[in-house]
Amino acid sequence: MRDIIRLGLILLLITSIAAFVLGMTNDFTKVIIQERAEQANVEAIQALLTDAEDFNKVELDSIEGIIVESYEGTKNGVIVGYTVKTKPQGYGGTVEVLVGMTIDGKISGVKVGEHTETPGLGSKIADASFIDQYLDKATNLVFLVRKDNVTSDEEIQAISGATISSEAVTDGVNAATQLFEDVLKNR
Amino acid sequence: MVEKLTVSSSPHILSKNSTSKIMLDVVIALLPATLAAFYYFRMNAVILTVLAVVSAVACEWGIQKIRNKKSTIGDFSAVITGLLLALNIPASAPWWIPIVGSAFAIIIVKQLFGGIGQNFMNPALAARIMLTISWTDPMTKWVKPGVDAVSTATPLSYVKGVTAVPEGAPSIFDTLIGNIGGSMGETSALLLILGGVYLVYRGVISPRVPLIYVGTVAVLSFIYGGFDVNFMLYHVLSGGLMLGAIYMATDYASSPVTKKGKIIFALGCGIITAAIRFYGAYAEGVGFSILLMNVASPLIEKYTSPRVFGEVKQNA
Amino acid sequence: MKIGRIFTKGLIFDNPIFVQLLGMCPTLAVTNSAQNALGMGLATTAVLIGSNAVISLIKNLIPSKIRIPAFVVVIATFVTMIGMLMKAYLPDLDKALGLFIPLIVVNCLILARAESFASKQTIFPSVVDGVGMGLGFTLGLTILGAVRELFGLGTVFGVTILGDFFQPASIMTLPPGAFLALGLLLALFNKLTAKGLNEL
Repeated sequence: MRDIIRLGLILLLITSIAAFVLGMTNDFTKVIIQERAEQANVEAIQALLTDAEDFNKVELDSIEGIIVESYEGTKNGVIVGYTVKTKPQGYGGTVEVLVGMTIDGKISGVKVGEHTETPGLGSKIADASFIDQYLDKATNLVFLVRKDNVTSDEEIQAISGATISSEAVTDGVNAATQLFEDVLKNR
Repeated sequence: MVEKLTVSSSPHILSKNSTSKIMLDVVIALLPATLAAFYYFRMNAVILTVLAVVSAVACEWGIQKIRNKKSTIGDFSAVITGLLLALNIPASAPWWIPIVGSAFAIIIVKQLFGGIGQNFMNPALAARIMLTISWTDPMTKWVKPGVDAVSTATPLSYVKGVTAVPEGAPSIFDTLIGNIGGSMGETSALLLILGGVYLVYRGVISPRVPLIYVGTVAVLSFIYGGFDVNFMLYHVLSGGLMLGAIYMATDYASSPVTKKGKIIFALGCGIITAAIRFYGAYAEGVGFSILLMNVASPLIEKYTSPRVFGEVKQNA
Repeated sequence: MKIGRIFTKGLIFDNPIFVQLLGMCPTLAVTNSAQNALGMGLATTAVLIGSNAVISLIKNLIPSKIRIPAFVVVIATFVTMIGMLMKAYLPDLDKALGLFIPLIVVNCLILARAESFASKQTIFPSVVDGVGMGLGFTLGLTILGAVRELFGLGTVFGVTILGDFFQPASIMTLPPGAFLALGLLLALFNKLTAKGLNEL
């Protein structure tokens, strides 16, 4: 019995020292990590809405469905557009889709962030050749994925062999534009 | 016991004496489909096939030279591997595709695992999967038969994700004679079956594996398509099913030797093929399914090998 | 044992990857590029040096009954620290290596060196052993990463080596490529060292 207490105390000592060291390190690195994360976030949305200079997070009343967050972009105090981050369900998990929209109702940028789609097939959703299909289109369109030839603006050509991944991105863009049309535009 | 298991070999060898004779039978069986590929895809097909066969034989000779092993190029097994590989690639493939594929099949899958009879999966098929994963674009750029080589979709990509044959898809008759897009050897179901019948007649392969394999896919697609015969025929006659079921799933070295084992093997191939075609990311699942069952073969054999006479059952 | 010998043992003769085949999980998982491999190797080296040093210092205070939990606590502390520091100062590398940084904790190489070397030696040889083994691990990872990157993308450390004529074999940067490359490199390493090892 005494032996167990002795061993326990030694382990306690070791773990306490470890905890203390880790606490110090955490204190030291926490601020830097947070700053980096914010900076990376701003850089990502900046690329989607090049007109804007400052970004502020939009407080949404209720976050529904696949919407994650939204920022308003301003220039000289005037709102020039919004960015919306969505997380639609893809083929191999959720896909991070960032959409930038100008205040006059045009999609100014789409970016596919973290995803786990099949390399070589689904991973092509991040390629410009797919993403560019959404650019400069009106936000009041509801996009539709098509496997064969596209004939109108709201139709998006699916990546062959990766229809589900293509649909995921389209879901994300649709959710973002809908949020813009229903809520953000009228704020 | 090991001796008994390694008598048969890849692909299609019954015993050492008749190795080249059997190989010749396989070449004869593949001849109609190969000639059809030459006819449909012209000069490209000829060049790719020659490259695949020559590089397969050269690699076999080279690696055995390096490893100081007796050369086995005389048994024609490398020729068959090269030929099967050529039939597995699209006619539009660049010239280096068959060379890289043959090198991978012979050096890595066949010789590094012990050479003829010791390969754990079908070399030609493993090479096809390797090529498809590595160079997805050139390996899936199917062309329409004919001189002009217009790019097209395979019949299977028409029925991907649906439960009925859509309008505009090639007709069943075209898939039967091979007037469709696909890799060189998977276009003509009829000629492949012809070769298969010849092999069965010559006793080179048993009809069990191909019949059960194709049958399983037929039944499952019949059910999945809502009892639509047209849809079922489409799945049975297009893609690599005939080539895979007749020439690759019957590979001696990488499939079970027992009767029961063969049945389980073929059933497994059929189920996995259907599952990939209906629910997977790829339009075709024959390659993956045979390779997966190849890997499962030792396990299947372990549970299906007959009890040695006089052996006492465990836990009896 | 001479100090120089301890070092070369870790780096080449007892190379963690090519001879001992230790730590196969990060070896196979993060070597899809030379840079990731180098980063992973150096992170592991840092943990290994730290844990070897601390364990050799406190080895007399730890009763043998609880030595394994004590070692694990020491290792885990270093891994967590490295993880935090990387997040703060090398965010890109941290993102690329992801889950595998915390998993250094279960890299058997580190526990193996703690158990078989650091707990029996004084601090100086232990640190040298940590450096040797760590750099040996880094060397193995980087070679594997460079080979995979070269054939899978045509580049090494992001620099294009093979020109336009080369069509990258993307399988090499995918999981099967890790096994293929490791197997072929092991064969090559054995071929090259077979003679040398026999003469030792």
